[in-house]
Amino acid sequence: MRERSHAPGPTIQNPCEVIMDVIIQSIINGTLTGSIYGLAALGLTLIFGVIKVINFAHGSLLMVGMYAAYWLVTLTGVNPYVALIVVVPLLFFFGYFMQAIVIKPILVQQADVREPSEVIIVTSGVWYILDNLTLMVFGAEYRVVNTTVSGTSFSLGDLIISAPKFYGFVITIITAVALVWFLKYTKLGKAIRAASLDRVAASLMGINQYRVYNIAFGIGTAIAGIVGCVLIPFYYVFPTVGVIFDVKCFIIVVLGGLGSIPGALIGGVIVGLIESIGAQFMASTWTELIVYVVFLAVLFVRPAGLFGEKRDW
Amino acid sequence: MTRENLDKLLKIILIVGVFTLPVWMRSPTYLQILILLFFYAYLTTAWNLVGGFAGVLPLGHSAYVGIGAYTSTVLFMAFGLSPWIGMFVGGIVSAIVGTIIGIPTLKLRGAYFALATMAFGEGVRVLVENTDKIGPLLVNGPRGICIPLHNSFAQFQFMSKVPYYYIILIMLCIVLFVTWYISKIRIGYYLAGGGEEPEAAQALGVNVAKYKVIAMALSCFLTGLAGTFYAQLMLYFYPKQILGLDFSFEIAFIALIGGRGTIAGPVIGALLLRPVSDFSRIYLSDIAPGLHLVIYGLILILVMLYMPRGLVDPLSRGYNWVLDKFSGKTEVEGVKA
Amino acid sequence: MAYLEIKNVSKHFGGLKAVDQVDLSIEQGQIFGLIGPNGAGKSTLFNCVAGVYPPTYGNVIFKGDDITGMKPWDICKQRIARTFQVVKPFTSKTVLYNVMVGAYIRSTSPAEVKDMALEVLERLKLADKKDILAKNLTIADRKRLELARALATNPEMLLLDECMAGLRPREVDEIIDIIRSIRDGGVTIFVIEHIMRAIMALSDRISVINFGAKIAEGTPEEVSKDPNVIKAYLGENYVAA
Repeated sequence: MRERSHAPGPTIQNPCEVIMDVIIQSIINGTLTGSIYGLAALGLTLIFGVIKVINFAHGSLLMVGMYAAYWLVTLTGVNPYVALIVVVPLLFFFGYFMQAIVIKPILVQQADVREPSEVIIVTSGVWYILDNLTLMVFGAEYRVVNTTVSGTSFSLGDLIISAPKFYGFVITIITAVALVWFLKYTKLGKAIRAASLDRVAASLMGINQYRVYNIAFGIGTAIAGIVGCVLIPFYYVFPTVGVIFDVKCFIIVVLGGLGSIPGALIGGVIVGLIESIGAQFMASTWTELIVYVVFLAVLFVRPAGLFGEKRDW
Repeated sequence: MTRENLDKLLKIILIVGVFTLPVWMRSPTYLQILILLFFYAYLTTAWNLVGGFAGVLPLGHSAYVGIGAYTSTVLFMAFGLSPWIGMFVGGIVSAIVGTIIGIPTLKLRGAYFALATMAFGEGVRVLVENTDKIGPLLVNGPRGICIPLHNSFAQFQFMSKVPYYYIILIMLCIVLFVTWYISKIRIGYYLAGGGEEPEAAQALGVNVAKYKVIAMALSCFLTGLAGTFYAQLMLYFYPKQILGLDFSFEIAFIALIGGRGTIAGPVIGALLLRPVSDFSRIYLSDIAPGLHLVIYGLILILVMLYMPRGLVDPLSRGYNWVLDKFSGKTEVEGVKA
Repeated sequence: MAYLEIKNVSKHFGGLKAVDQVDLSIEQGQIFGLIGPNGAGKSTLFNCVAGVYPPTYGNVIFKGDDITGMKPWDICKQRIARTFQVVKPFTSKTVLYNVMVGAYIRSTSPAEVKDMALEVLERLKLADKKDILAKNLTIADRKRLELARALATNPEMLLLDECMAGLRPREVDEIIDIIRSIRDGGVTIFVIEHIMRAIMALSDRISVINFGAKIAEGTPEEVSKDPNVIKAYLGENYVAA
């Protein structure tokens, strides 16, 4: 494999082989892109799994990550993957404080409600504010950044693999593994898991559950930041990009099961595959519809999702 | 004068004032603003039947506005069916769709229900955007539908804004009455109980899911009617606007800020928030596009944190204070002045 | 045929046998007690009767009709009412409103329902608190409200799930009197309780459950002397020689 910037020349092929290649190509594309979607959904599912709230501002936070990465790369010319060093902590603190200032008071007020619905409203408020402040400050133009990896690809036989998407895939796997290891083996990770089971019980065990929530929210948002950096080599940056990812993430998280890490990744890949394979046969607006239909079907037939816990709805 | 009499007098002044407004306010621009204000108050009150009384958070109600608008308009354009009749057809179609969606989704909890309604709303929008024609019915995809000018009562079009004003005002009064009436009879109690403690309500004989679906059907029917009104008012609508997520969210949030579950809440929310949105959009959108939404977002957060029951609470306390202050408090416990 | 017949009822949750082949017969007009250590399966059995979930095996027969697996609202329409161990009042509503929700199963007229609710509140001595919001009640009053709400449905059979937990001795005595008067009014009562003196004083018959299975049944006196019961509660060492 070597990085190239142009496709191989045409060869005469059997039409079946061409179709097979097209399908395999779209499977690969779908899987790579889907894994990145899965990473985006991972932040959301972590927050839900621990704090039991749905963060409607998740897409907007991802958008903030994208803009942060965009400006960093545009102003300093640094590699977008190096930008992670700045963007990730930045978003971690963003998330930490968002949880502490805006969401915690509601959890305290509604201490005996497992999933207070006011949180949906408040996070939507944050979403409105973030999206429109960005619109006001940076304008509505679609921005593109030229990074060292944009537009490059590897070739594997007749198949073309987009380099930035591949790197994104690798980063997704690394992040997911690191997260699982963190939750399972570190003290803080175990505290997070304990707090996720029962708010009040955990506090009786000496865990400051609100601090744990702040950290969990911070981690979820930091993951959104990772996705932001990973996306800018091949995705447009504009103020409402968050909305697209928000809705996609919700769908993925329901598909995979709220609170399940493998669920988020697999759900993401499923959506990615529907989009990329569907794109071969129909317009992208129809693939959008199919994703919604699949979402609604899963919601009605098995609301817990593929890997979620079965609960009494 | 006594407190009760002052209260009654103020309410009478309000009602008379609102009903005679077009007599002394002639500006069509301001009338239009008021018409849209009542339109939103109507929508939020209808939304409240599900979002307030049934205790769940529907975030896809724009779909029913759209279904109402598209149904009556499409039937008018293809068959010449009067929009007055089309309005009720649209309402019924909305109710049927709402029931079909409601039966599986109303079993879901909080966040899942919200997501499902969002997904369904977006699904309807995408479906309409991708549809040009259904047989003889012209849907026109993302471009939306433009209703040709006819200017006759039979075709539900008027030259002046005044008839529209009275129509939406009457519709608003009807919807408020329906909400009030429901809260006083059994279905209101069952919805309230089922929304707060479904298990307890079930043990008391309430089939919670069934009542939620009834509330949904009614809400969707009423919402569909407003869709036709909007179509006839503006004579143009398109999917991203009338079926959009922004619209759904706006309806929900106005009701929430005003006070979900109360009767006056959604109306108050509309009265306070729509002017904010309109004026900031008119005067500020050149300098700062989207500022009105930033303001919306801030208000949303502040109200949820400090007044989770909505603005109805502090406002009704303020109103009571005014009553006390100006009535001289002549009512003493057990003794009438 | 008994008034309420629980026939060979089992409830399994995955591999866990929460209720294991329990047979119970309750006669009309009885106060029937169900006791057992924590986690024995008492509430699970109640839930099977009340329709929260169907039993895995077995049948529940009420007045000759098979009510196995009916939904809670239909069970209520069969004139069986229940209270919850963790009370679930409609906190944002008044006491009167709460009770009216229960009464609405008997009539659709708001005026009639209001009168029915007031009557129940009088009986349970909560009438003076009728306009207080449920969230502002003390725990004792909340328990009373839970009882009032269930009574408002005019049941023939009442399932009481630990309605005295957390009450002070005087409050317990008051509830005992109230339960007796309910039974005297013609309601059959099936009660789960941990407060021994209450259930011993109230019950005509008691059944003891441990690990999901019935280990003893009889009059309060018989049961308190049963060695299996003593072993289950206090351990082997306390069985009288």
